[in-house]
Amino acid sequence: MRRFVADLHVHTVLSPCAAVEMTPRNIVWHAARHGIDIVAITDHNAGDNVPAALAAAKGTDVTVLPGMEVETKEEVHLVVLFEKLRQLFAWEEIVAAHRSGRMNDPDKFGAQFVVDAEDNLVAVKEEMLLASLTLSLKETCDKVNALGGLVIASHVDRPAYSVLSQLGFIPPGLALTAVEVSRRVARADAARRFPAIGGLPVVTASDAHMIEDFLAGPKVAFNLEEPTLAEIRQALYNENSRGVVL
Amino acid sequence: MTVNDLVSSLPLTVVAGHDRLTAPVTGGYVSDLLSNVMGFAAPGNVWVTMQGHQNIVAVASLAGLAAVVVAGGAAPEPETVAKAEAEGVVLLTSPLTSFELVGQLYRSGVKGQ
Repeated sequence: MRRFVADLHVHTVLSPCAAVEMTPRNIVWHAARHGIDIVAITDHNAGDNVPAALAAAKGTDVTVLPGMEVETKEEVHLVVLFEKLRQLFAWEEIVAAHRSGRMNDPDKFGAQFVVDAEDNLVAVKEEMLLASLTLSLKETCDKVNALGGLVIASHVDRPAYSVLSQLGFIPPGLALTAVEVSRRVARADAARRFPAIGGLPVVTASDAHMIEDFLAGPKVAFNLEEPTLAEIRQALYNENSRGVVL
Repeated sequence: MTVNDLVSSLPLTVVAGHDRLTAPVTGGYVSDLLSNVMGFAAPGNVWVTMQGHQNIVAVASLAGLAAVVVAGGAAPEPETVAKAEAEGVVLLTSPLTSFELVGQLYRSGVKGQ
């Protein structure tokens, strides 16, 4: 068992609001040099840059988790994470069928770049990613869980796009694995400051859109045998001697 | 003024809570952020929103609202309707946008607060 530092919420150049320096290769390069063992790639409503991140991490000690930051029809942001790329691909198909149909305006919102593991431009994503899907919060949680993934409610302390701002409280029976708080709240204070979190595990993550934020932003450390999503899930619930280390 | 007065004069459809339409209306509130509604809507208000999530029922119940209107032609989720029936919350829908509906409510005498 050893300690793994994880950042479970990182945006790449595919997110219109992210800096161009946020290429998968550059993120992995910085992770390797700054002791960040696990990085989840979580772009808005798309996963096109995950394959490049996985390729860039080959031969390094960095583990990349396939993920996405989903915006539900209630305008709630959720970090969804998968163990395997094929699970993300299956999820991307569901997402594609639930987009608004609007196209991105790069001048207003920023460009959405798909790149390879060597920072080469592969494509410009035309669909508007910064928009709500037609999937509800519950549908998203249920479908991600059915694919074997897990769902973390993004930045629940923030006044916008969080399950608490949009819906007031976490609906009972929702298949959420954990909640995330932003850098503004210490993990240890989260449950006291936001009682609506209830008994759910709390993580912090950088939600980085720039390398500087990726390096300086909050992370979470886990005690794990292997850096896998299955073990992270156990750690969040203190199972099999896995756990979250402050 | 009661909920029934509004239903009979404006494009509103009763989806749940048919037996509670005699509730007096004290004023109105409009927001799609439920955290905000919990803090600012007053008892007896009619609340106009685009959110069709089942949490709107709990918020209406908590705040003691006279009715919730899901506007813009949006359909409340099936769980929302069932929950509203179970908890005795008046749930209405309207094809009008929130803006247009609030304008018509205001003209009918429903003010803020």
